[in-house]
Amino acid sequence: MNDTRVRLHLYERFVADGRPPTAAETAEALGLPTEEAEAAYRRLEEGHVIVLAPGSTDVWMANPLSTVPTPFRVITDDGRSWWGNCVWDGFGVLAMVGADGLVSASCPDCGEPLELRVSGGELEPVDAVVHFAVPAARWWDNIGFT
Amino acid sequence: MLAFRSEEHVQRWREQRCLAPGAVFSPEQMWRLAHEWYRDRLSPDWQRKTPEEAQALFEEIGLTGPFWRLRP
Repeated sequence: MNDTRVRLHLYERFVADGRPPTAAETAEALGLPTEEAEAAYRRLEEGHVIVLAPGSTDVWMANPLSTVPTPFRVITDDGRSWWGNCVWDGFGVLAMVGADGLVSASCPDCGEPLELRVSGGELEPVDAVVHFAVPAARWWDNIGFT
Repeated sequence: MLAFRSEEHVQRWREQRCLAPGAVFSPEQMWRLAHEWYRDRLSPDWQRKTPEEAQALFEEIGLTGPFWRLRP
């Protein structure tokens, strides 16, 4: 039960503030002992819901959101912005918040900017392809590289 | 997963890094997958997809074959 409350609080604050709350901030907001919020963060990581920075309870990824800047900037038409972990997650941010906007990336080969725009809930035609390097069964071997 | 200008750009990038061929598909498929994967992430009722549910979603979007198989 606490894990659901912690997950919702974490995501809601991340969407609203542009950064995830620390375990201590979540504990204070939900009236939990800090140790319980930290344990919930770890359980959420074990469940592949979020990814923590190594050796800490600091959130690195709350998929589809990234705490650290990435090549996948997500900007909604109403001016909000976040970082996605990859192109899937960039689109995922727009789907999660239910907003139109764009994922701003660039071709890793030539560096040319790529703007992937969602309008009216549909992807606008774009001259691009998506590449996955790692087979689906192995994505969580190293979620930082797929 | 990354977005490229074209398959030729993928191949050049991959060969420079000695990476084995991965999977290339359309941005439209990527959008459909991302939408179905994440649209309910802020819901209290959200549950992580089971491997069977994820596999069914891949197939619905046309992502089939050994690369997309989650279980042997």
